[in-house]
Amino acid sequence: MKEQSLGEFEELVLLMVAALHDEAYGVVILENLEEHLGKKVNISGIHVSLKRLEDKGFVKSREGGITKQRGGRRKKFYVITALGKKRLDSQYAVRTSLYQKIPEISFS
Amino acid sequence: MDSQPSKWALKFLRWFCREDYLDEIEGDLIELFEKRFAASPKTARRRFTWDVVKSFRLRNLKSINSFKNSNIMNIIRHTLLLAFRNFRKYKSAFLINLIGLSTGLACTLLIYLWVNDELNVDKFHVKNDRLYQVMTNNVRPDGIVTWNGTSALLPDALLEELPEVEMTAGGTDPDWQMSYDLFVNEERKGSGIGKFVDENYFKMFSYALLQGNPEEVLTDISSVVISERLALRLFNRTENVVGQTIVWKDINLQNAAKITGIFKDPPANSTDQFDFVLPFSLYKYAFGADWKSPNAVTYVLLQDGTSPDAVNAKLANFMDDKVEESDASYFLHAYADNYLYGQFENGVQAGGRIEYVRLFSIIALFILVISCVNFMNLSTARASRRLKEVGVKKAVGASRSALITQYLGESILMAFIALLVAIGLVVLFLPQFNVITGKDILFHYEPTLVITALSITLFTGLVSGSYPALYLSGFNAIAVLKGQLKGSIGELWVRKGLVVFQFASSVILIVVVLVVYQQMEFVQNKNLGYEKDNVLLMKREGKAAEGMDAFLDGIRNIPGIINGSAITNDIFNAPGAGDFQWEGQIDGNTGFSRFLVHYDFVETLGLELVAGRSFSREFAQEESQIILNETAAEIMGFDDPVGKSAKLWGNDVRIVGVIKDFHFKSLHERMGPMFLLLDSQWSSTMVIRVQSGGLRQTLDRLEAFYAEFNPGYFADYKFLDQEFQTLYEAETRVAKLSRYFAGFAVLISCLGLFGLAAFTAERRMKEIGIRKILGSGLLSIVRLLSRDFTQTVILAIIIALPTAFFISKNWLDNFEYRITLEWWTFAGAGALGLLIAWFTVSLQIFKAARVNPALCLRDE
Repeated sequence: MKEQSLGEFEELVLLMVAALHDEAYGVVILENLEEHLGKKVNISGIHVSLKRLEDKGFVKSREGGITKQRGGRRKKFYVITALGKKRLDSQYAVRTSLYQKIPEISFS
Repeated sequence: MDSQPSKWALKFLRWFCREDYLDEIEGDLIELFEKRFAASPKTARRRFTWDVVKSFRLRNLKSINSFKNSNIMNIIRHTLLLAFRNFRKYKSAFLINLIGLSTGLACTLLIYLWVNDELNVDKFHVKNDRLYQVMTNNVRPDGIVTWNGTSALLPDALLEELPEVEMTAGGTDPDWQMSYDLFVNEERKGSGIGKFVDENYFKMFSYALLQGNPEEVLTDISSVVISERLALRLFNRTENVVGQTIVWKDINLQNAAKITGIFKDPPANSTDQFDFVLPFSLYKYAFGADWKSPNAVTYVLLQDGTSPDAVNAKLANFMDDKVEESDASYFLHAYADNYLYGQFENGVQAGGRIEYVRLFSIIALFILVISCVNFMNLSTARASRRLKEVGVKKAVGASRSALITQYLGESILMAFIALLVAIGLVVLFLPQFNVITGKDILFHYEPTLVITALSITLFTGLVSGSYPALYLSGFNAIAVLKGQLKGSIGELWVRKGLVVFQFASSVILIVVVLVVYQQMEFVQNKNLGYEKDNVLLMKREGKAAEGMDAFLDGIRNIPGIINGSAITNDIFNAPGAGDFQWEGQIDGNTGFSRFLVHYDFVETLGLELVAGRSFSREFAQEESQIILNETAAEIMGFDDPVGKSAKLWGNDVRIVGVIKDFHFKSLHERMGPMFLLLDSQWSSTMVIRVQSGGLRQTLDRLEAFYAEFNPGYFADYKFLDQEFQTLYEAETRVAKLSRYFAGFAVLISCLGLFGLAAFTAERRMKEIGIRKILGSGLLSIVRLLSRDFTQTVILAIIIALPTAFFISKNWLDNFEYRITLEWWTFAGAGALGLLIAWFTVSLQIFKAARVNPALCLRDE
């Protein structure tokens, strides 16, 4: 099987889902991303990334219960799948090995 | 403050977002909103809407299939299906509605096209909003006279003295339509309409120069700029025409001119139509320019952002330091307004063609409403048939708004079907319409037209559907299903009221048509004080111009020709006399008019002498003699005017005769005082009286003589009585158009009545059957059925006649000489309306009254 692509923003969202473990849903991901990246992110972008990740099998979702908050709408929680984790690992490995090849010269 | 996000944004989100995503997306958005709300409600709300917009992505959309099955689509499909079934089931009602609505829409569309065309006349100039014409108010004892003549010095003076003025151009009045003979290489190439204008003309007005530089085409005194059309006519080409020399010529003036440019033919919606322009400097050179003689017109281009009022304040007294005791004051009038707002009364703007634009817009609205009324009437009348449908729908839970949507949908669908038919009708009748209106309107794709047509149709659908929709949807479901519902009194009144409205409008239109027709007949047959039939008008040109007397002598010898003379002016529009004084004169200028004529004018036209003599070659110094009309003689107050003298333009003149009053202006204006002065030098038109019998042969002989006398020219004559007709062109057009539109209004009203009668007859079929069984005769049944309609129509007539009286009187006030309104015009129109109504209704009623009672009663 051809390896699924993983865009930069998608990777960030996937990392965040993994980091939040079982507590990840739209708004929390948004707030954490904004905090870590230090810039504004639009919620609809996160929604789209999550759907794509789900299509690719990197995350799976479950629905939360109905509460009085959120206008009575359910939350959708995401957790990373084994495939997603594997993909993050390989991505991390590639990057680290490449990073280590950077020669120790001055970048001024 | 309300802690809810925007309702519309939320609705929109729920509308487009697929169900399985909605919980997550809407939930997240609302959660974010609630968090942000604490910080700033306004930002929160704004960002919520923004988030919704950002979420509008392909991925989040419902699939097309789910739209297909969505509630809205189902409702639309259901409505359409029901509408079509209803159309099929009640074919006659459908046809009546279709014919009525499509005729109404077609009339409205035609009128819209016409109005739109009228409103756009002269508006094509790019600088239109800053273009003005200088108008002159002359204070006269009998009121202020407003016209466009100004001194030829005014354009330059305005530019110099008023900083608000960006550019000015002088010129000659486009209404003069001076026609000049044109020669190329000594060969006559027909004639063309020319005018003199300043060099700035092409910079101010958007008559595009195809060749030549707008800065310098008219700087040279013997230059000429010709139209593309004229170039093709003179040279059969447009290349290499610039630089050629042409000679233009009329009786007063001629010159050889070098072509310096070619302009595009003036578009059809330009009031000013001309073939070539000559430099204004030449005009000033030839005819002089001073502050006393208003022999030019002045166009002004104001600076950007300048209001004409500021300039008008300065213009009012502009003449004071130019001429002593000037009775003229200037003001600016938007150039494009000349066409629609060209009439002034006592110095105040007083309508013009805009009145006809308004009149026809009102007629269009009336016709449209009349045809909407048909639809309303038939739908409500037929409501009883659909009662069960409404009842069942309500019983299974249809809301009132759903029912309203359904009926409105039906009527809008009807209107759009009618629009298709109407477009067909417009395409079919546009050529004919163009002939009547004298326009060149095209029916082609244009965004504004499409939008207008669609909105008119939507409006028609909404208006005609609104009453049935509200009415039908308001029924009580239980009562309807039990069959307890009876037509309320109110409903009956509404229906009757609508019929009253329809017939009142129709009767008003009938009266107006009759009055306009009578007035036009009156105008045609009015005795003008001379015999206007069998008189030819001919341009004085070529050899006939040089030797007019020889020419006139020659034609007098042609068998069939009675007499010949010449005149300087337009026979139907005598100009003001100017400075005219006499002994014992009470107040300044008394509004005299004058004709400059040749010998035999009185005899040729057949004016009646009441005292003294006519101009005669047997007396000397006839150039200083004048002939008064009776009104003039009366105003001047001499017991025996013949032989008395007066002062004209500073020279002594002697009165030699008095003629009976005759119409020397259009019948819109009063016959005032006037005189004839002998002066044949400027005569541009020859007047020839011929015998009434054998006209064809006489004309042939005249043409033969003309060809011999005046080689290179052909006898281009017009008939005086036909020229007379053109004076009333606008009225004749209105007369024709109103006849058609009145016909359509009556037709549409009758359709409605026809449908209503058919329906009533059908509903009362059982009653009729029982009555017949009990011995009722045909006539008594007819009387029974027609009584209601008769009452309604009579009420309509009673309302219509006074209204029609005021409208007619208003229109007739435009004429100084007019018919008196007779009672029988109104009685006739009323009777006609009633007869038409009876005829329409009787078709149905007789059919109903002759029904076999066994047939209509057997199923009970």
